[in-house]
Amino acid sequence: MNNNKKTVAVIFGGRSAEHDISIITAHTPIIESLLASGNFDVVPIYITKDGSWYSESAMNNIAYFRGEYAERLVTQKKVHLLFDNGLKLIWPGFRQKIVSIDVVFPAMHGTYGEDGSLMGLLRMANVPFVGCDIFASAVAMDKVLTKQVISAEGVPVVPYVWFTRSDWENEQTIWRDAISKLHWPLFVKPVHLGSSIGIAKVKNEKELEQAIEVAFHYDNKALVEESIENLIEVTLPIMGNDELRLAEIERPMNKSEFFDFNDKYISGNKKSGGVNNQYSEIPANINRDLVEKVKEFGKKTYRVLGCEGIARIDFLIDSQSKNVYVNEVNTLPGSLYHHNWRKAGVSGVELVTKLITLAFKRFERDQNTTYTFSSDILRKVGGPKKN
Amino acid sequence: MKRFFSRYHPRFIRSLVYMLQASEYNVRDYVAWLSRVEDFTLVEKRRHIVITKKARILLVTASACLFVFYGAASAMLFLFEFPKGIILFSAIILFSPIILQYAILVPLVLFQVFVQRPITRQKIKRARQKLEKHPAIKIGIAGSFGKTSMREILKTVLTEGKKVAAPGGSHNTPLGIAAFVDTLKGDEEVLIFELGEYYPGDITALCKMIDPDIGIITGVNEAHLEKFGDLHTTAKTIFELADYLGHRPLYVNSDNEEVKKFASKDHILYGRDGVDHLAVENPHTDLSGTSFVLTQELVHIKVQTKLLGLHHIGALSAAADIGIRLGLTVEEIARGLAKTAPFDHRLEPKIDQSGVITLDDSYNGNPDGVAAVIDFLASLSGKRRFYVTPGLVEMGARKEEVHREIGKRLAFAGIEKVILVRNSVTQYIEKGLRENNFQGEVLWYNDALAAFTALPYLTVKGDVVLLQNDWTDQYA
Repeated sequence: MNNNKKTVAVIFGGRSAEHDISIITAHTPIIESLLASGNFDVVPIYITKDGSWYSESAMNNIAYFRGEYAERLVTQKKVHLLFDNGLKLIWPGFRQKIVSIDVVFPAMHGTYGEDGSLMGLLRMANVPFVGCDIFASAVAMDKVLTKQVISAEGVPVVPYVWFTRSDWENEQTIWRDAISKLHWPLFVKPVHLGSSIGIAKVKNEKELEQAIEVAFHYDNKALVEESIENLIEVTLPIMGNDELRLAEIERPMNKSEFFDFNDKYISGNKKSGGVNNQYSEIPANINRDLVEKVKEFGKKTYRVLGCEGIARIDFLIDSQSKNVYVNEVNTLPGSLYHHNWRKAGVSGVELVTKLITLAFKRFERDQNTTYTFSSDILRKVGGPKKN
Repeated sequence: MKRFFSRYHPRFIRSLVYMLQASEYNVRDYVAWLSRVEDFTLVEKRRHIVITKKARILLVTASACLFVFYGAASAMLFLFEFPKGIILFSAIILFSPIILQYAILVPLVLFQVFVQRPITRQKIKRARQKLEKHPAIKIGIAGSFGKTSMREILKTVLTEGKKVAAPGGSHNTPLGIAAFVDTLKGDEEVLIFELGEYYPGDITALCKMIDPDIGIITGVNEAHLEKFGDLHTTAKTIFELADYLGHRPLYVNSDNEEVKKFASKDHILYGRDGVDHLAVENPHTDLSGTSFVLTQELVHIKVQTKLLGLHHIGALSAAADIGIRLGLTVEEIARGLAKTAPFDHRLEPKIDQSGVITLDDSYNGNPDGVAAVIDFLASLSGKRRFYVTPGLVEMGARKEEVHREIGKRLAFAGIEKVILVRNSVTQYIEKGLRENNFQGEVLWYNDALAAFTALPYLTVKGDVVLLQNDWTDQYA
């Protein structure tokens, strides 16, 4: 029996296009691994699509979210948060219950979660949390910002053009001109969305126009970039704060032209209970030089963005020129890519336990950083003017 | 307290009928289970009641009984003055569930005595008559463990040169065998029977029905010890086969210490060293299978099987020898042995997408089988090994000793992770581990389901997971 159990709050769902994926990630592997270890009390916190917070232990079972759970929630009381030198959860009412949270495990993909918003809240609450902090999360959420930051540090990225909705509406000719200088075919992407939502490959002007329209349906900022022909797509999950541990380089063996939402989450998800792995080659069968480049750029990207805990770096490789480009960074890989970690020798239990240890280490480090200092400036405000 | 009050739960009658059904309507097993139940609302864990005709009749009868009890209780209030009336009323209400749990046996026993047994006797008689006329060589296999493995190996080997038939599954009771005999066409050359032993006299009764030409005794150990009381009685029951056979050939497993005590010089011993005149050379086993050479002056059989573990060598050798006895060629025997492979839930290897190798040994629940499997695990180097078990059932008075021994073996084998399911016996495995300076990790789960759910999160590529034994509800 373990009497020293830490209380972990797993936060999932949320106001995001990836709300449902987040529920899967939270359970497979996070909650199930935490419970399997026997070392944690798990408090599931579910945020609805409209932003309401609920928590009950039955939510630890993913079965709760099959069927009409939204109707069940209407009768539930919302959980309240208290920032009291740490995070406390309050279930109000006649028999009010308060639970103190030792560490938070964010499992929210996309907006309000993976984009750094949730991390900001948790920093305010002064509670340790797993994964990347607000800064890395916010940059990685913006595909353009990511390219700008890492290319400034010498990490190769595919040539691209970006613009906002008003840029496109007001100065279309300038942007069309810039786009025409890229090497076609092109990819059009909304800048902030994950899970390949709203992404299209275009071969001509007509397709380009439609794709941009779709991208602006999801986002205010769009990215148009060259597509790599003779493409090998690979991805590399990385874990750590200062010392990094790499998982296996994984090559999604997608059937469609690019790795879209269906490939990632639906077609490969029947048996594995997590993100796509039946269509993956782990480790990717690429030559040693490419492996070394992927590892080098992976680690560099992770450090340049200031990632901590866990992240996954996606790469595009031109199999003829052997050029390797970093495509994007995911600060909360779907299902933590635990299928890959398992092949790299890290079990689900070891993965979540290590991530929680990393969260505590970062918290401890940050506690030793001084954010305030004493000054007498307030006393002087409004005082007699000195000559 | 829970035990007492759960009898008043509306589910109580359903639970009683389920317990009867899960005990295969064996009165002794049902009564023994009754004494162990802590909460009558929670007996259906692994399986659920199947509403058969028999179950429905029992449900209706038991409900009617309870109705009569409550009627009688109410009548007391009217028939007798206060306080006698209320005392009798309370007493009947209080005791009615306890009476009911035994009263439910009355229609069952009546049915068994007056309907089922005469029919069974008739069926067995018909089967015996059919077998008497059947020209096939009959082989009877008795033993506390290893009967099904022996049957499957023999069947696979002998099929290479003969037309062989054997009851499938675990049909080793007179009724199961009678049903099988019904399906015989008459042109079979070899019939193989498992002889199930539950109580003294069982083997003799089956021998009289089958009249075997060749016998095999696979071993004696603590399996079903709760029914036999002691190992001596178990051994005597199993050796009823030897008594019946007289001078006909009887193969006896010399790897098993208990059996060796009873074996005589007339018996043919088989084991890891070989059988009779066939010697074993160069034995080797790993996750891909087992290999060895069977040699005699003129015979040289190279054996390669997918069965895992050196403990199979004895049975494979015995099958080869029986093959020779029945006139199979050396080539046919070698071909047959090469076709032997793990069968369902008996050290059956499976590899999943993540590269985790699971050895499903959930039908192996006897101490000798467990020892053999731990030996096999010990021989696997460079792998992280998980041993998952709820322990063994029906070990009677030797419960603690047997499980501590398992712990000791696991510690000596250097197993990395031992996953135990919380129940009345696994604490002794942990004790055995601790007493023998176990260096690995012990993980506890409240039930088998929780352990199975946790496994994918504990394992990585290359790990070997052994699932040892499975408990059904009546042992929980």
